[in-house]
Amino acid sequence: MKPTSRLATKIDGKDFIITAEYLPPAAVNGAAMDAAAGSFDDRIAAVNVADNPHGIGVSSLAASVMLSRAGVEPVYQIVTRDRNRIALQSDLLGAVCLGIQNVLCLSGYHQALTGCPESAHVYDIDSVQLVAAVNAMQHEQRLIDGTEIKGEISFLTGSVANPYLEPLELNILRLTKKVQAGSRFIQTQAVFDTERFDQWLSAADGEAIPAMTAILAGVLPLTSADEAERLRETYTDHHIPDEVIQRLRAAGDGASQAKEGLAIGAEIIRKLKNCKGLRGIHILSGGKESLVGDLLAAAGL
Amino acid sequence: MIVAQRKTVPELMEILQGHPRLLVLGCGTCVTVCLAGGEREVSIIASAIRMASRLRGQPIQVEELTIERQCDNVFLEQAAEAIERNSAVLSLGCGAGVQALAERYAQKPVYAGLDTAFLGILEERGIWTEKCSSCGACVLHDFGGVCPITRCAKHLLNGPCGGSRPDRCEVRPDRECAWQLIYQRLKDIGQLDRIKKIAPPKDWSTSLDGGCRTIIREDHRI
Repeated sequence: MKPTSRLATKIDGKDFIITAEYLPPAAVNGAAMDAAAGSFDDRIAAVNVADNPHGIGVSSLAASVMLSRAGVEPVYQIVTRDRNRIALQSDLLGAVCLGIQNVLCLSGYHQALTGCPESAHVYDIDSVQLVAAVNAMQHEQRLIDGTEIKGEISFLTGSVANPYLEPLELNILRLTKKVQAGSRFIQTQAVFDTERFDQWLSAADGEAIPAMTAILAGVLPLTSADEAERLRETYTDHHIPDEVIQRLRAAGDGASQAKEGLAIGAEIIRKLKNCKGLRGIHILSGGKESLVGDLLAAAGL
Repeated sequence: MIVAQRKTVPELMEILQGHPRLLVLGCGTCVTVCLAGGEREVSIIASAIRMASRLRGQPIQVEELTIERQCDNVFLEQAAEAIERNSAVLSLGCGAGVQALAERYAQKPVYAGLDTAFLGILEERGIWTEKCSSCGACVLHDFGGVCPITRCAKHLLNGPCGGSRPDRCEVRPDRECAWQLIYQRLKDIGQLDRIKKIAPPKDWSTSLDGGCRTIIREDHRI
């Protein structure tokens, strides 16, 4: 069945698409969720709900449902780190029953990079195989083991890509498989170096990828030089150039650095808007949801 | 080979409490090669236990012996008398050796003196690296002889994760990304096409996930 979510409709259209991100904390009183939900207005097509990227928080499925009840369309993120194919598909069936329409498939940060480095992982299947599994659930109405699914599924399925993954040939090979598996949208890791991002987009275009999937460039509003350095040192998928960190530091005190971070983000968004083949941006606001509005205002969106 | 490393002396002293006579039993195969449980290490560990137990005021009388292979009943027999005259055995074999001993000598306490780590190779002097997870259904032919199940921290079969770097894995700076190696190797041997099609989910039933494994060779049982 064709996906009918708000994000799916936007992808079928021509408008510049904006998605954002919500990182459910380890909080069960709902206040944190309400505050976050209030940060997302109509300009945001949908909000990704992260699946425990840095440690344990409210489950992405539960938080997606809660966000949906608060009037925000969720993109249910699901990582292959913590669940085997039984649990993944079971949760996906549950997500359909709960009205979830968008799903983003990832392998997820290795548990060594989370607050629980001692835990075991699963990695029964990888993100490409998960995208393919979601696609089979949807178009063939069957699970990986061949079990027939009763009822129709209309997920909009997406995955992620790192524009800075080298070598480029390997990067595009991986991206092509994600698209072939059925990813209808691709959200990227944070873009700072727009020139290199453009080279990646051109290479993707060489494989006709932007014609098959909606690419949304990640934009990360940095709040300080220290934060940028910490991210760069901890996560190898973050490519934050020295110039960005120097610019943040040169801005002065905390408030000035945060302001500069928004200015940098806004400049990047303006540059990205001119990228041929790019359908929109994905604001990597996880944990800093209140910055979304400020960033969009700074970018004049 | 099986690669293991020695437990520390304080750990061993904790494990060995209350045994007046101890046999430290080495193994002449894998753990000798990886310098963890051969004749030389038996001698070192035995001396350390003698000293530590004396310092505690509860001296342990330690006998030393190294046999060719602890995982083989034929060789285990050679240790029968020494095992008999001691009150416990500290095996410096791998986990398989320790269990072979414990099964054969049902009345004798047998303890592991090593932490068995992995199936791997000697990379360079003093450095061993893991290469095989014994998944029971080898996929190396599709990945240029680089195992994505063992050497990719996420067992990814369809390409690197977003944290891959040409010089390192997302998890540790001193570990190469398996997918960078797979890509380079397949490119070098002109087989990049092997990773262009989507690899389906792996059948893990042949691995430890299917439970402890047994191989029966009927042709050798006649």
